[in-house]
Amino acid sequence: MRTRPLHEHVLETVFEERRRLASRRGFLTGSAKVVGGGALALGLAAAPRLAAAQDGTPAAAEDFFEDDIAVLNYALTLEHLEATFYRQGLEEFDEADFGQDPLGNSIFDFLVDIRDHEADHVETLTSVINDLGGEPVEEAEYDFGDALTDPAAFLATAQALENTGVSAYDGAAAAISDPELLTAAGTIAAVEARHASYLNFVNGTLPFPAAFETPLSPEEVLEIASPFIVSGEVGEPMDEDDEEATPDS
Amino acid sequence: MRHAQEHTIEMVNEVRQRLASRRGLLKGSAALTGGAALALAGIPALRDFEAAAQDVGDDEISVLNYALTLEHLENAFYRDGLASLTEQAFLDAGFDTTVVDYIAEIGANEATHVETLTAVINDLGGEPVEEGTYDFGDAFTDAEPFLATAQALENTGVSAYTGAAQYLIDSDELLTAALTIHGVEARHAAYLNLLNGENPFPMSFDEPLNPAEVVDIAGGFIVDAEVVTPEAFEPEEDEEGTPES
Repeated sequence: MRTRPLHEHVLETVFEERRRLASRRGFLTGSAKVVGGGALALGLAAAPRLAAAQDGTPAAAEDFFEDDIAVLNYALTLEHLEATFYRQGLEEFDEADFGQDPLGNSIFDFLVDIRDHEADHVETLTSVINDLGGEPVEEAEYDFGDALTDPAAFLATAQALENTGVSAYDGAAAAISDPELLTAAGTIAAVEARHASYLNFVNGTLPFPAAFETPLSPEEVLEIASPFIVSGEVGEPMDEDDEEATPDS
Repeated sequence: MRHAQEHTIEMVNEVRQRLASRRGLLKGSAALTGGAALALAGIPALRDFEAAAQDVGDDEISVLNYALTLEHLENAFYRDGLASLTEQAFLDAGFDTTVVDYIAEIGANEATHVETLTAVINDLGGEPVEEGTYDFGDAFTDAEPFLATAQALENTGVSAYTGAAQYLIDSDELLTAALTIHGVEARHAAYLNLLNGENPFPMSFDEPLNPAEVVDIAGGFIVDAEVVTPEAFEPEEDEEGTPES
């Protein structure tokens, strides 16, 4: 049994993870010597799963993903999570539950747009993976806890998901080898960043909390996302035997 | 005479419409299979840019200078604009002081981008472009034209990074670093859309712009500045990948 609302736990994980990474990496602060991808590679090198990739050079996102299809499935895993979150949440709430943002816009209306974007991302990634001859991961079963009953929790969870989404794309993009797929991923990452900006805004925090995004490794992202995932595939990065490794509850 | 920002905003919108109809984003991309395997001759040691410099050539530096060209423009815009406009101008336009604080934060982000890109280009042995002379028309006369121009600049900025990321595909570190700026520009763009009464995320997919398109737009503000574009970019064939080796 949960003693705290799930979204609090997740938000804390997100913020803690970022603080940890920021302090460990000295991410871009004042120094041109640690560029983002470098920081990412350091993060991956530290991941136990990648220990085998150690040969004196830091492991890169490439080592985590077998090919472009694997990166796309990783993105799809997260898009499924987001799409389901908004679809289920917006069935539970209405315009009055959220009210207006500080500029007088209906928050619900913008959430509907975000929901539709995530559904588009799922659809597009699925068809691209199919067209490439891959097997798209399917929607899993999720547990969003009180985020589906409490509008404030919904907004806070949405904020965590979107900000994590941006970090996930930024951390995985370097593993893509096809320039067109890279550009396509960039067009999605930007939209996730726009969502994150707005959700920060409606949660009363700075829409752009730092001059640079924080890229997160697949390991870090899956760690953040896993509390939401009850069962199902967790994308390509997991080993086959790990697919069942979800907490039984 | 039209105001620079009206001209620019119109141009941005026009370019987007044209591209949206011409491209049908992602539709064709599946036809290109996984693509050539990335010959990853080992990631250079991170904190050691001497080593990194071996893998980073003039092509990559030109992409960074392209980004710096745009960041200079944005940085000068916020720095000079916020020096000329009073807080009262924003309050009179119906905004609260939070908006003024947030705009200042955006300006600070752009200054950091300029500083960081300059330092990285220097460390890689390149020559960073310098700030030029710009003309933002009537953007500094009041809050509304200022915010409308800021919106155009930020949305163009996101599209510029989205379109140019492919030219860094052979340098993981620089690609990731560029994307960490790209996301922040998108955050700015979303907020400025909001302040201008528009949808912060007008589409499911952002629109990439190629360097020629971006320079067309930015050129409206430039009186005198060195404008660098990615060397790998070939204006006639904007679907070109990475021609090098």
